Amino acid sequence: MKIASLSTEQAPPISVPLRFFAIAPAFLALAALLLAIADGNPFANLHAPSQIAATHYVTLGFMAMVMVGAVQQLLPVVIGSPMPAPRLVAWFTFLPLIAGVLALSTGFMLGRTELLDLSWPLLGLAFLVFIAASLTSLAQAAAQNVTKTALMLSIVSLAGAVAFGMLLARGYAASSPLPYAKLAAAHISLALGGWVLLLSIGVSYQVVPMFQLTPNYPKWLTTGLAPAIFATLLLHVALLLAESSQHWLVVIVEVSFWALACCFAVVTLRLQNQRRRRVADATLSFFRLGMFSLLLAAAFSLAALILPSAGEQLRTLSALAFIMGFALSLIQGMLYKIVPFLVWFHLFRGGAKAIKVGVPNMKEIIPEAWMWRHLWLQGGTLPAALLASQWDAAAWVAIPGLLLQGVLLSYGVFTGITVYRLTLKRIEQAEI
Amino acid sequence: MTTIAEFMTTDHKSCDDAFAVAEENALDGDWGKTETAFNAFRDDMARHFRMEEDALFPALLSAGGPSGPVNVMLMEHEQIRGLLEQMATAVTQKNADKYGGLSETLLIVMQQHNHKEENILYPIADQVLASECAALLGRMQAV
Repeated sequence: MKIASLSTEQAPPISVPLRFFAIAPAFLALAALLLAIADGNPFANLHAPSQIAATHYVTLGFMAMVMVGAVQQLLPVVIGSPMPAPRLVAWFTFLPLIAGVLALSTGFMLGRTELLDLSWPLLGLAFLVFIAASLTSLAQAAAQNVTKTALMLSIVSLAGAVAFGMLLARGYAASSPLPYAKLAAAHISLALGGWVLLLSIGVSYQVVPMFQLTPNYPKWLTTGLAPAIFATLLLHVALLLAESSQHWLVVIVEVSFWALACCFAVVTLRLQNQRRRRVADATLSFFRLGMFSLLLAAAFSLAALILPSAGEQLRTLSALAFIMGFALSLIQGMLYKIVPFLVWFHLFRGGAKAIKVGVPNMKEIIPEAWMWRHLWLQGGTLPAALLASQWDAAAWVAIPGLLLQGVLLSYGVFTGITVYRLTLKRIEQAEI
Repeated sequence: MTTIAEFMTTDHKSCDDAFAVAEENALDGDWGKTETAFNAFRDDMARHFRMEEDALFPALLSAGGPSGPVNVMLMEHEQIRGLLEQMATAVTQKNADKYGGLSETLLIVMQQHNHKEENILYPIADQVLASECAALLGRMQAV
């Protein structure tokens, strides 16, 4: 039993997570700008270089940026084990991640191999530092809980996804004869199905009951779900890389993965229906939109197995529903809770002076009206992106939608940071 | 036999229920009901804190339990009391926005606090105070 984990002092300095959250929305806007200048309809073919470039702005620049920052906050607080050298880890993750994703996407967009060759060592460094620090923190944690298992499997999946990603970038740069389609499938499988889904699951075990006063996730689910998903992913990757594998085995593994993902979504939606806190809440709505999107992604992927003739289109729709619907909704919804709470929490530590000056409450830090506007925007952007893969005109709704989301989120996060700075200044100047 | 962890976790849930009713009434703008519900919630919280501060924590410390975690919990009680005080002012002022922002903040502070107690402190108490558990639960209920 780790007694030290009760201490609030284990939380890292506010600047550690906030730097990641502050820069991340800019990459949503950058992705939208790339899509806008791409030839043709960028949503129709996810393998086009411009689409690969834009996708990595979203998945690395936005999603991974927020997730890496959030894990650095989460591990000390939830698992009770601080990251080693938090400031150093933050800088050595943050800077190479920004530089790496800019080099990677620009390299793909312009077809510049030297930029691709620059990108993979930078991204490798960022993730190596992050993965090593996270696994050290997890290994030192005395507490055993289901969130810890899910986070560990998520981070191990990330390590695999990064290894395949580096291999692919290096391969493109050097025009090496590699089985690109198989490697890309393994990379995507571990990145989205492992790193993103397992982290979402681990975090949900904590925050879904906490934010809405729902019952806890059932024990049968928390014990088995994350390891089962991880096992299906390992099998999937092994089958992909095998010289020859039975098609029916691949189908069984894919169906199992999506069945498990659906199980998570359905149980989460059911728990949220049983919530004791019934008031409207933007984060809850973002979360629910995310869970319905996960079900939609599963439906498209399963349909692709039944209708192989439309397989390519259906898999594109599944990827769009997963990234634009599931991941973006959850991450954005969570940011609207995490940022105001972190600001409040760190200001409140100012003690008597802080109480005298008055610490703004969470809804005074980021106004709720902005969160609801963003939710509606997300609700409009997602169907437009799905339609855009079949109907060119819808791209011209999805692209500005994505751009505006980056701007809105950026506004929200910077509003929070400004409130923090101004209030901190008043606390420091106050006299007791 | 009921453990300290089970007894106190049930009490947390009942405080959560009272919290949810008060918040819903306040955001609906029904201030008559809000006042009643908020007072019930504040009373529940005050009783829960008394059970810990007057009975459980002293028993834990005198049985050689760790003082560090107890001090952290006491500090968080003060944080929660501060927020409850501000919420009482919002009820008096019939200010739904202020109440909503404060209750949102309180919820996370309270849930994190409960999580730590339920997963760390109460299990320690059940271990350290195993021999006097029944008597202690009796004293806590009498608070």
